[in-house]
Amino acid sequence: MQQSTYAFAIVEMIHLLSLTMLGGVILVVDLRIFGLGLKSQTAGALAQQLNPFLLWSLVVSAISGILLLSEEPVKCYYNPAFRAKMLSLVVAVAFYFFIQQRLSGGYAKWAGAVSLLLWLCVGLAGRAIGLI
Amino acid sequence: MLEHFCQWLYDSAIGTGIRESIWVFPIIETVHVLTITLLVGTVAIFDLRLLGVVLKNEPVSRVASQILPLTWAGFAVMFVSGFLLFWSEAAKSYANPAFRIKLLLLALVGLNPLIFHFTIFQSVSEWNGRVVTPLRARLAAASSLTLWACIICAGRAIAYFQK
Repeated sequence: MQQSTYAFAIVEMIHLLSLTMLGGVILVVDLRIFGLGLKSQTAGALAQQLNPFLLWSLVVSAISGILLLSEEPVKCYYNPAFRAKMLSLVVAVAFYFFIQQRLSGGYAKWAGAVSLLLWLCVGLAGRAIGLI
Repeated sequence: MLEHFCQWLYDSAIGTGIRESIWVFPIIETVHVLTITLLVGTVAIFDLRLLGVVLKNEPVSRVASQILPLTWAGFAVMFVSGFLLFWSEAAKSYANPAFRIKLLLLALVGLNPLIFHFTIFQSVSEWNGRVVTPLRARLAAASSLTLWACIICAGRAIAYFQK
């Protein structure tokens, strides 16, 4: 991929498209917790229906992300934004699947806010990789 | 004339200010990139409902009335941030093939819901609860998804062509 002009660009676009779906699902589920958007569905039912899309977009993001990483692994290893992204990604995924979906009642809103913040960190750090 | 207008925007105090600041351009760009999720993510969920893939138990019109306000909020942020980015790079964007393609696709993607709304959506009460919506509704959804995906790719490509 290091020798192709187009491969990196195409993989980058795939990464961008999958993150659109990923972020879209997270936003719709988390905003529902705050009473915005699809109010006729419960937050739990909404999350359950959209989970397959979240999982698939995570898989596509991860594969395209690894391909992007393979172009410049050493540079990324020493890039603080890359490290911050990996850390916040692991925490965000673990929080979303293992903690948030088990909380209910008053905790749910806090969980929604934490989840949004964590994913925002992933997005911001991801964008910063190219700037640092 | 358009070219002159772009040059005038490019040379204006605000355009130059955004372009020459270390922080302003990347911050606006980051907002623009991350808000894609709000705009296109919500559009995609509505389109997937029309295609009968998600929220099958929810009437189409109820998905539309609940999720499209989020889409419009996303659109407002995208439009303002996108215009500010254009403002600072207008003279370069004018000649940029990816930028031209993106604008063309945006015009098409704007036309799509307009046609959808004034034609097949008028009879939504007849097919509101159906999982499989009429062919014209599914065609609108498929073209919307395709167009938005192409717009994101063209948008990314702008940076590759910008000199």
